[in-house]
Amino acid sequence: MSQLQARFFTENKRYVVDDVPFSIPAASEVLELSNVINKLLEAKNASHSKVEFDFLVRGQFLRTSLATHMETEGISTEDVVEIEYVERITAPEAEECMMHDDWISAVDADAEWILTGSYDKTARIWSVEGKAVITVAGHTEVVKDVAWVKRDGLTSLLLTASLDQTLLLWEWNSEQNKVKARHCCRGHTASVDAVATDPTGSRFCSGSWDKMLKIWSAVPTDEADEVGEPADRPRKKQKTQQLGLTRTPLMTLSGHNEAVSSVLWTDSEEVCSASWDHTIRIWDIETGGMKTTLTGSKVFNCISYSPLCRRLASGSTDRHIRLWDPRTKDGSLVQLSLTSHTGWVTAVKWAPSHEYQLVSGSLDNLVKLWDTRSCKAPLYDLAAHEDKVFCVDWTESGLMLSGGADNKLYTYRCSAGPTDAGA
Amino acid sequence: IIVYMSNYYRNSFFVHYLEFCWDFVCDILVVLQDIRNTVGNIPMEWYKDFPHIGYNLDGKKIYKPIRNKDELDEFLDKMEDPNYWRTVHDKQTGSDIVLSDEQVELVKRLQRGQFGDVNFNEYQPQVEFFSEDLMIHPVTNRPADKRSFIPSLIEKEKVSKLVHAIKMGWIKPRRTEDASRGSYYDLWANEDSSILANHKMHLPAPKIPLPGHQESYNPPPEYLFTDEERALWEQQDVSDRKLPFVPRKFSSLRQVPSFPRFLHERFERCLDLYLCPRQRKMRVNVNPDDLIPKLPKPKDLQPFPTTQSLVYRGHSGLVRSISVSPSGQWLASGSDDGSVRFWEVCSSRCMRTVQVGGAVKSIAWNPNPLVSLLAVAQDSVVLILSPSLADRQVLLSTEQLLSDQWEAESAEEDGPVKWINLEGEELSQGIRIKIQHPKAVHQVTWHAKGDYLASVMPDHSSHLQVFIHQVSRRRSQNPFRKSKGLVQCVSFHPVRPYFFVGTQRSVRIYNLVKQEMTKKLQANSKWISSMAVHPGGDHVICGSYDCRLSWFDLDLSTKPYKMLRHHKKAVRGVAYHRLYPLFASASDDGSVIVCHGTVYSDLLQNPLIVPVKVLRGHVITHDLGVLDVTFHPTQPWIFSSGADGTIRLFT
Repeated sequence: MSQLQARFFTENKRYVVDDVPFSIPAASEVLELSNVINKLLEAKNASHSKVEFDFLVRGQFLRTSLATHMETEGISTEDVVEIEYVERITAPEAEECMMHDDWISAVDADAEWILTGSYDKTARIWSVEGKAVITVAGHTEVVKDVAWVKRDGLTSLLLTASLDQTLLLWEWNSEQNKVKARHCCRGHTASVDAVATDPTGSRFCSGSWDKMLKIWSAVPTDEADEVGEPADRPRKKQKTQQLGLTRTPLMTLSGHNEAVSSVLWTDSEEVCSASWDHTIRIWDIETGGMKTTLTGSKVFNCISYSPLCRRLASGSTDRHIRLWDPRTKDGSLVQLSLTSHTGWVTAVKWAPSHEYQLVSGSLDNLVKLWDTRSCKAPLYDLAAHEDKVFCVDWTESGLMLSGGADNKLYTYRCSAGPTDAGA
Repeated sequence: IIVYMSNYYRNSFFVHYLEFCWDFVCDILVVLQDIRNTVGNIPMEWYKDFPHIGYNLDGKKIYKPIRNKDELDEFLDKMEDPNYWRTVHDKQTGSDIVLSDEQVELVKRLQRGQFGDVNFNEYQPQVEFFSEDLMIHPVTNRPADKRSFIPSLIEKEKVSKLVHAIKMGWIKPRRTEDASRGSYYDLWANEDSSILANHKMHLPAPKIPLPGHQESYNPPPEYLFTDEERALWEQQDVSDRKLPFVPRKFSSLRQVPSFPRFLHERFERCLDLYLCPRQRKMRVNVNPDDLIPKLPKPKDLQPFPTTQSLVYRGHSGLVRSISVSPSGQWLASGSDDGSVRFWEVCSSRCMRTVQVGGAVKSIAWNPNPLVSLLAVAQDSVVLILSPSLADRQVLLSTEQLLSDQWEAESAEEDGPVKWINLEGEELSQGIRIKIQHPKAVHQVTWHAKGDYLASVMPDHSSHLQVFIHQVSRRRSQNPFRKSKGLVQCVSFHPVRPYFFVGTQRSVRIYNLVKQEMTKKLQANSKWISSMAVHPGGDHVICGSYDCRLSWFDLDLSTKPYKMLRHHKKAVRGVAYHRLYPLFASASDDGSVIVCHGTVYSDLLQNPLIVPVKVLRGHVITHDLGVLDVTFHPTQPWIFSSGADGTIRLFT
């Protein structure tokens, strides 16, 4: 068997070739196939410049020779093979490096601004170009998580969660470059490790070491909520300590048996939380009840949800990234395991604009870019960090960010970016 | 003759034989008849070119008859001559002979296999000449030999010889059985001999070993005794001697004297055979692997820590002791560099460092989740730290605990132990109370409720080795009046009022309510280094400096239920997991061995102990490897601290 019948197709209109079967050598690999396509395109269009392609056979990236790939996938070599090709993503390059004073615990970025939380008890705002804009200081302990709430015009709302058991809701005016603590969210009895804003920006959810999830209102008001303080404590003293007006939770979701490590909103009425008790739980905010429990075998460090493919990705302490379907009630909940990291997976994030891509960070100092169609190995290893990676993010504009214990926040950009429409 | 004989021998063999004879005789008859030609039975074509066909008896040529018959004549003869069918060509004479009727009949009879004689009756009755019947007339008429009726001379000579021998007394008549000598009773006469023959328990006597070089009359010189060996042989008791004789050398076999002890030796051998109990050992073929109890595979016993996940770096000296907060969020470590560090477990971040001004020997986190306190043993002081990493409510209750019961303090002033409230800079670091001991403290441990604290000051001579402190009332007491050996480590029972005291060789269990010793466990090891009590309270593990780990089942025995000797060097620390059926031991060989130890609530079922994993990672520094080991309170994770200044988390 030396020749195979193959038909090439793509969804990218720029690189369409004729829809006829070609006879290609079975031993050919990605490079040969890429040359074939380039030849075809040159024959069609003289001005075509060479492009590197990647090939998908039945939704799986071709990484070995075509014959071995088809043998392992169990595809018959008698029929005409349908091969999809996409433009290859080039290796993301580290663009900017933002030095912090201490370890970076969390990062949240949008198209314009990057918000980072650090172990030096502050949060910082950076521009995408890597310019430090402002330092948000106010917590008495390490900042564990940060989140943007809302951006309208020049004023933005942002959240910081800290080890000092509080969350602070800040208002930042980018024109005057001033930040003001609007609310101090009290209620947790241990370190607040995770915070997530709902899609509308009106509420946010926090997860804490005290096993609780709490839902808060994100709308700033001018009135403080009444808090049942212990009577013996001098009220005056506490007032002076506090930044902003006290806010109490709208709702408390309890059910986890261990610390909550990560929370997110899957839609405006559904919250998903990962915990050290080896479960991922999905909560209904309207009723305040638990909808689904996904049980794993190891501690979950982080989760991420992609509305494009409707799948949850979880990073756990056993070095695997697992993809879950949160809607299935029975059967095998884990759809796919991505294994390449050698340390705990501390951060995972789906690409906001791509159905198949995700990025993960681990204690083995590596950030990896994955494509779920190639589950055996990651697409690229981003080895910029010199120490543990704690957080990763991926913005709508295609910018990847990672921060870790080497006090550096790196930004990466995929050069293929918008041209790679994927499948 | 033939006919005659065939008349009498009619069995088949003779018939065949006679037929053969008949053919032969016929040939002779033919030859005899054909007297005119003397050439004999030769191929007559030899004469076909000659005018003659042979020679007659006179030696004259016999000429061929003139044959003028051609094929046509032959054919006409065949057609017309009525005697043609009985005409035979005689080769000998070359003439044609017409057979007569008798001759034709004879030929036909012979062709049919019948006798040639028509008158011969084949089936006439047979006369049995030699039968068992006595006949009046002899078969043969031969007269009898002379020797048949005269006496034999040879026999006469033989008889006369015998007669002479009897006369001379050379041959005696056979002796008759003498009844006077008495008869013996046959003991086994009635016994079935087949039983004896089939006796399965027959044991042959062991063979005497064949003589070797030593028994030789001319042994090689190395077998001869030297003077020392001879002296030794003579000194030894007879039963202790390896050889029952002294090897000697002779120049020739002729000069070998008789062995004086021969009879003695034979007698001893017989005595041995007679006295030795002989029985057949039933040899059972048992595969030694089958005798080993079936242990489950480590893969089936998950979860347990397998890989190193985090390294907590920061200490500059060896880390003697570590302790995890009851919530599992914080890890405290005490080091020889004089500092106590607090780490965030999940990120290996050092959150706080407290300088205590001396090497920290032992550290213990208060197990009560409602208070946040840490006991630190440093030289002769036990410090109570409040790390202020916890919730406000917890801090509040901690404050309440510490500020309680001030009035009790004054009474204790004159005791050997002093409680000092700290202020100023030390207070700002979180050090709240200082408990001054008379000697260096080696270990501190908390009671499960978190109010009582025990400290150990190993000293042979003194009875002041163990103190139990009550934090809420600020009281200290020495539970023992007498020293029962060097105390190595102590531990509280997790649920009942028992107190475990590990001395050098044994572990004593005291009932604190009745104030008496309930049990003494013999560790079978030289020097106990560490001890851990199972969260159920019925099992204890002890590590010792002679590389052993002993598991005691308190319900079973005071001897170790199981000894594990997996470490190459001294065991420094042992630990039980609070929730999972795991225990671990840390050793100076730089490894931590994690074992699975299921304890069943059924008293009859022994604990299942399976070593599952060897964890390596620590660098051996100054011949010290891993110094302390502790489990995470809720996850199957293990922390180990080493002499290389690091703490490692295995998950």
